[in-house]
Amino acid sequence: MEHSTAPSIGASRNQRDLVSGILVFIIADLIVFGMLFTGFMVDRSKELAVFNQSANTLNYQLGLLNLLILVTSGLCVVFAVTAAREGRITALRNWILAAFLIGAGFGVSKAIEYGDKFAHDIGMHTNAFYMYYFALTGAHFLHFLGGMGALAFIWFYSLRHAAAPDFRGKIEAVGLYWHMVDLLWILIFPLLYVLGLQWQPCP
Amino acid sequence: MNDPRMFNTEAYFRYYNPVLSNESYFKYWRVCAAMGPVFLAAFIVCWGVLGSNIPPIPADFTADQLAQHFRTNYNEVRAGMSGAMLFGCLYLPWTLAIYKVMQLINRNENDIVSTLQMWGGALTVVPLVTSSVFWLTGAYRPDELDPKTLQMLYDQGWLLIDMFYFITTIPMVCIGVAGLTDQREKPLFPRWACWYSIWAGLSFLFELLMPFFKSGLFARQGWLNFWVEFVVWFAYILIITFFTMKAIPRLAKEREDMLNRA
Repeated sequence: MEHSTAPSIGASRNQRDLVSGILVFIIADLIVFGMLFTGFMVDRSKELAVFNQSANTLNYQLGLLNLLILVTSGLCVVFAVTAAREGRITALRNWILAAFLIGAGFGVSKAIEYGDKFAHDIGMHTNAFYMYYFALTGAHFLHFLGGMGALAFIWFYSLRHAAAPDFRGKIEAVGLYWHMVDLLWILIFPLLYVLGLQWQPCP
Repeated sequence: MNDPRMFNTEAYFRYYNPVLSNESYFKYWRVCAAMGPVFLAAFIVCWGVLGSNIPPIPADFTADQLAQHFRTNYNEVRAGMSGAMLFGCLYLPWTLAIYKVMQLINRNENDIVSTLQMWGGALTVVPLVTSSVFWLTGAYRPDELDPKTLQMLYDQGWLLIDMFYFITTIPMVCIGVAGLTDQREKPLFPRWACWYSIWAGLSFLFELLMPFFKSGLFARQGWLNFWVEFVVWFAYILIITFFTMKAIPRLAKEREDMLNRA
């Protein structure tokens, strides 16, 4: 029976799985989000003024902050995975915790943003732009919550199961997933917040 | 060999018990698994083509336009829905075949996940069949019912079949979760199929938006909430059937080897 010591994506014991595990989930998600982005661009071309006007009401500073939060959190996950590969469990847990706490800032920021929209009676039905805004950021947020749950799972799981054979596979899979959450925001941010942004000249 | 303390589930008790020959033990498994594609083909023809559900009649059609559909196509809809209600029930034996395979994925796991899959898959028959009865009702006396009633019946069918998705999400996620516990060198359900099953089940969550839209991608006829969701579900049925069918002879071989050693 062959055993592999290489990190195992998707906890597959069979290293010959070509499109293994979590990558399927990630690719499928990216395909659907890609379709949503395409739909956004197509609908935007039909109502350019509405889309641009609405885009300008978004807080691009918060969007940028979200980007920084997720990228930094992703970096912590990179360090966590490296630590896991080197068997440094305490470091792994610390980096996962850091990733989680920094990532939590995204949740706070989202609450502020959505709260502001609802306070101004802006919802999915306000216009087509906002439909996409809430759909894209909402779907992304659900993925973010799933990712936070996965990070918490790794943190607790590593307490007792650090020696389990599929442990590193699990961490690699969670790491990849978290990078996908990051990647999605890197695509959503310019699409919603930057495209159509009209810069006001300084007074 | 028959010491009950050896078996963590009843499934393994029967599996290790040599009272049943291999032929008896695996009898009907393949027939049940084959019901998946039979269901799919029949459902597409009956529910989809005859019943005018592929694609659904747009939610932003007027009541009069919808009434026109029922008053013109009532016989096709009657035939289609009768077939849908019959073949929809095949989701049950199909689910059972998967359940039997799932029970033997990992002997160190209990049978909670496989049982959840069984119930979830069996209860999936409910939205498939009950939604069809609403469309059937619309086609039963279309000239005597007023347009608004006909519209409500058509809407109700779609709201049921679309919004009852979670009962199907549960078994889809369960198959993936259980499949991932497989310790075999070559898992019964490959990793990618497990993850696809989990993803596909969760992707139905977009249907949460369906009641809020009469047009666009989130409406019942939208490219996302109809085309993407249904194609993803159909593909899942084919993929899982394929690996369930392949698993059965493998499990038979494993059991034969085990009985020969005993």
